[in-house]
Amino acid sequence: MSATTGVRPTKGYLMEMKRRIGFIERGTEFLKLKRDHLAKELTTSIDVLKGRRSKLLEDLRIAYRAVTAAYISLGPTEVRSQASSIKSRLELEVLPRSVMGVRYPYIKVEKEPQITGELDITLSEAAEKVLGILEDILQLAEFEARAERIADELGKTNRKVNALENTIIPRYRQVIKFIEDKLDEESLEELVRMKLIGGALARRRE
Amino acid sequence: MSPGLDYVVIRSHALMGDLLTPEQMRALAERESLEAFVEQLADTPYGEISIGMEGDVSIALEKVFYQKFIERMMGIVDLAPTNIGDFLQSYYYLRFEVINLKRIFRGKFSGIPIPQVVGSLIPMMPYKVESYGEIVEAETFEDAVRRLEGTPYAPLISSLELSEKYDALWPVEIALNYLSTRAVFKSLERLPQSDRGLVRRVVQVEADVENFLVAAKQRSAREDAHSPEEMFPVTYGIGLDMLREAIEADDIKAVIQGLNPPYDEILAPLYEGDVALIRSRLRQHVYDIAKRGRAANDFGFNVVMAYLIFSEIEKDDLVGVAWGKTQGIAAEDILKYLAIPNFV
Repeated sequence: MSATTGVRPTKGYLMEMKRRIGFIERGTEFLKLKRDHLAKELTTSIDVLKGRRSKLLEDLRIAYRAVTAAYISLGPTEVRSQASSIKSRLELEVLPRSVMGVRYPYIKVEKEPQITGELDITLSEAAEKVLGILEDILQLAEFEARAERIADELGKTNRKVNALENTIIPRYRQVIKFIEDKLDEESLEELVRMKLIGGALARRRE
Repeated sequence: MSPGLDYVVIRSHALMGDLLTPEQMRALAERESLEAFVEQLADTPYGEISIGMEGDVSIALEKVFYQKFIERMMGIVDLAPTNIGDFLQSYYYLRFEVINLKRIFRGKFSGIPIPQVVGSLIPMMPYKVESYGEIVEAETFEDAVRRLEGTPYAPLISSLELSEKYDALWPVEIALNYLSTRAVFKSLERLPQSDRGLVRRVVQVEADVENFLVAAKQRSAREDAHSPEEMFPVTYGIGLDMLREAIEADDIKAVIQGLNPPYDEILAPLYEGDVALIRSRLRQHVYDIAKRGRAANDFGFNVVMAYLIFSEIEKDDLVGVAWGKTQGIAAEDILKYLAIPNFV
């Protein structure tokens, strides 16, 4: 179906179309700004993620080695039994945060487990190592979720900009051009008609 | 009636042939999977082990290794003269019962469901208490400790005050350690004077290392550290002054290097950065004590004790290997923490 099907070639409609295209073009500009901003945020996030992840992986390896050593040295039942004696558990709260209208989860540590009292030194060292990187793990998870959602939003915004630039706006331009052409044609016809009438009237007066 | 000490000694010599050699233990640790480990174990005196696929396999295997050790111990106890049998029962059963009581107390302290606590117990008959079930079913941790009234563990009830004061388990655990060490020394009196040295050396070195580790742990909470007198009711080769120094000194390395052998070597991983190695070195040292004790008297009680010590260390190593295999840990990371393959 053509873009001009059902279009009323009137001056009023032309003005309405021009108002609409102006609005859409402004919206597109805003979306482009948003897209650039999100792209910038994403690039920065990915750079930070890369650095943090490799550091965290190394810390995780160290913590995992300590946990492994504790298990081999004490045996799995003893490790579980000692770990169960920790009264205060880790408590987290997940809250929403937003960047450029993109919502992502923010993890807040409400309470950290108190590991010092009851554990054997081997296990307590391992637990301290894990606890030491716990905040980094949470931050990285939060950052990954943020980057993922920004990437999602960037994709959506990009699709919207492309649709507006390549489909919607050209279609509106086509309609406007059609109406303008029609109106020009009509005014030319009107002019010719007026000239003919003017000529006929002049001949009658003579 | 016991066939006499000579028979038990000869039997222990013979049973030592059933123990895994360092090469066998290394080969088990080097197996590529849990299945391969269980398969190779079938070629040893452990025979074929069937493990259910439900639950944690490493814990099921741990129970099997404990059962095997208890069987070995009971095999000796049944043959040993009364005084030795009584001593061995009280030495091993008491230690395992102390572990079980600690696990029950931990469970009660943090409100773990009863089946989970029961599942964590070493599979053995109660020794000095009537039943574990009765203690496990107590409403609270305090109630569980109070249920020990009328048993040799009754003095633990007085440690509840300190436990309530700090809202912590350690006062009860330390009192339990103290009670068990005292009971072991008391039961040693059943043995002839000449046979007591080996056990005394083992118990003392273990108690000293545990005390030092507790002191080292207190360093992280120096302001809230509890008084050494409160924490260490009994010390041997590492006295209260050294333990206080371990808590207060800025440089733990200097404190450890100032200790006498073998403590300086056993505790060196504390400043070398791999604390778990301490237990491996302690086991190696205990292995060494048993080996030397056996060499000093190859026709007496030391041989029996050495067999059981080797057997217990084997159990500990196998528990570690089994867990490592279920987790797919690299062989070199497992071997590092074992006692038998690293014994020089």
